[in-house]
Amino acid sequence: MNRLRPGSFAWLAAHDLRQSWRSFDAALGGLTRVKAALLVGAVLAVHAVLWWALRLSGPDGDVTRDAWLSPYIALGIVFVLPGIVVQAMTAAARALHSHGDLELMFASPVSARAVLGARALSIAISAIAWFAILLFPLADVNALAGRLHWLAIYPALVACGLFGAGIGIGLALAFVSAVGPRRARLVSQIAATIVGASFVLAVQGYAMAPAGSRASLMQAMQSPIDNQWLDWRGWLLLPARAATGEAQALGLWMIVAIAVFAVATFALGKSFASAAISSAAAGAFTPATGERKERAFRGSLGATLRSKERRLILRDPWLISQIVLQLIYMLPISFILWRNGGATGAPGIVFTPLIVVVGAQLAGSLAWLALSAEDAPDLLRAAPVSAAQIERHKIQAILAPVALLLGAPIFALAFVSPWSGLCAALFTLGAGVSTALLNLWRQSPSRRGLVLRRHSQSKFVGMIEHLLSIVWAVGAVIAVIGSWSALVPVALACFILWLSRSRSRRVSLPANA
Amino acid sequence: MREFEKDAGPPALILRDLRKSFAKIAVDGLNLTVRAGELYALLGPNGAGKTTTLRMVAGLLPPDSGEIAVFGLDARRMPIDAKRIIAWLPDEPMLYDKLDPLEYLEFVAGLWGVEPRRAQAIANELLETLGLWEHRRERCEGFSRGMKQKVALAGALVHEPRLLMLDEPLTGLDAAVARQVKDLLAARVKQGATIILTTHILEVAERLADRIGIIQRGRLIAEGTLAQLRSAGGADHASLEEIFLDLTAPNERAA
Repeated sequence: MNRLRPGSFAWLAAHDLRQSWRSFDAALGGLTRVKAALLVGAVLAVHAVLWWALRLSGPDGDVTRDAWLSPYIALGIVFVLPGIVVQAMTAAARALHSHGDLELMFASPVSARAVLGARALSIAISAIAWFAILLFPLADVNALAGRLHWLAIYPALVACGLFGAGIGIGLALAFVSAVGPRRARLVSQIAATIVGASFVLAVQGYAMAPAGSRASLMQAMQSPIDNQWLDWRGWLLLPARAATGEAQALGLWMIVAIAVFAVATFALGKSFASAAISSAAAGAFTPATGERKERAFRGSLGATLRSKERRLILRDPWLISQIVLQLIYMLPISFILWRNGGATGAPGIVFTPLIVVVGAQLAGSLAWLALSAEDAPDLLRAAPVSAAQIERHKIQAILAPVALLLGAPIFALAFVSPWSGLCAALFTLGAGVSTALLNLWRQSPSRRGLVLRRHSQSKFVGMIEHLLSIVWAVGAVIAVIGSWSALVPVALACFILWLSRSRSRRVSLPANA
Repeated sequence: MREFEKDAGPPALILRDLRKSFAKIAVDGLNLTVRAGELYALLGPNGAGKTTTLRMVAGLLPPDSGEIAVFGLDARRMPIDAKRIIAWLPDEPMLYDKLDPLEYLEFVAGLWGVEPRRAQAIANELLETLGLWEHRRERCEGFSRGMKQKVALAGALVHEPRLLMLDEPLTGLDAAVARQVKDLLAARVKQGATIILTTHILEVAERLADRIGIIQRGRLIAEGTLAQLRSAGGADHASLEEIFLDLTAPNERAA
């Protein structure tokens, strides 16, 4: 970095990439030699699995035939590209929202275009990283098998990243201009949620579609006849054709992507700077709480704690969007269950486990928010109230919205099948209490906005939380069937919870009260 | 500075041989007595153990050993009873960005179990006194540092503590807000409250404090009124800054 001219695009890009690398390093808890070896081992393992699949398929197997694979790659790219655009859009909105280093940069005499270009490059690299983990090994093993044109995935994906970053930053700025800097991040998140949910639903929809429809979709995904660029598929599938090694398509796709990236960073540099500045100014805005009517103070500790927790969640649209996003991730499960259970005509088997899992996840998230993401832990520690009292009221505070949200589907289920409704209510309560207790015993303090990434801090808690959700859901299904064996998962859940019990990490609530 | 008049009741705070270590020793056998009804300024260089000491008194950190008595109550054996009469105001305000000042005061009053009607009356009075009344229905997230500090101060006072401990209460405040805070603290002391504050602004200690304690490396190295500190240092007209530097410099060099 020292050899680069300070303030230049390359110098700024090196700075941004170093920051991204350090975030990655921090996420791993420091990249030790052992962790680096494990990472390399994981990458080699992905290569080995793909190589094994290729060998198993044999020289004439489907997996080794480009004609068979290319529609899948085309389908994949059709999904990858919006995914990259969405990631770039949310990253740009996040960069504008957390304007700390942007303020520093725009206060300095460096070019706004260089700043945006460097940030866009960093966003592009981050956006393609996840897709690269799977696609680059696929290219490598095919190249090793003699099909060198598969290496086109490398430049095609990099071009996807540049194209996605350009479009994503443009969309983020459009949101800033349409709804203002304060709401732009939320709108970006909602848009990302919709795209993410559409992706998940489309995958499930494809799996559910009749064989004939799937075949015609595959046909549509076949590369159109060469040189027929007037065919809409020629343009729509341009990145896919580039990825499958069509030289002309690859060249064109790279030109398009670099042009979009360059135009976006060149044309939007000043807009980005002004959006960053207006975001910073918006931070000083003081919204009213909307409670104009003077109201008497609440008397009890429980009421004040509950109302505080409720207000903090309801007044944070970002937080709500994160929780909704988490619930949307449950949609694939509902699809799978619908497909498998719908045919049996038993709604209890379909919906009971789903309600239980949603209840467990929701209670886990809210418990983490109330217990680990407490904004003023020292205030609670300094108060003349025991830790147990505060924890009890907090657990009550988070279980109330879970009951409120899941009450309607449980009631609807009970209307159709009373026994299923009863099972859903009891097992959701069990699951909710267990994930809440897990988050009470295993706290991992962090900022509220990181609710979706809370498990990256404590992978153990994340794993146990998912395990508890599944065990309670399995128990619920067995109970709906009417077997006493349902007590086995219940006992297992209690055992898991007992094993996870640890009060040593209760750091956010009164330590010595 | 007014002359301190001894209170007949138990001292507001007694620390006996208080010790706390992290990677290194933070508080090293500290002995300190703060009388009821006085404003006591705890001074010391960075890392001297001031904040650690006050956090132990507030019940936020368990001491390794030693005794803490707050108005005669053993704070280590009866933490809840001690906390009921203590308020702690750190340099970083303990606030909730999404709550407005009135909701915050309601919450704090609820934590300390203040009778709701009384809490509401006190809250309204504090908001008026601190110039926050017009902002009582605005979320704290957009407030300036000074306003946040005032909301936090109101929170510390809403339960009418007998012992108020403030860590760097004037840092980052503009002159007008600093004046408001100083006036409020002086008024509270007149009403009988005991205040312990840490500050790096020695002029504040010089003007407001009844007595001054200087700690270094976790130990009390000097204590008394400004006049007593001057005469101990043999310089009758020295400023507190000069006394402070004279007292701490040899120890710093020895460290």
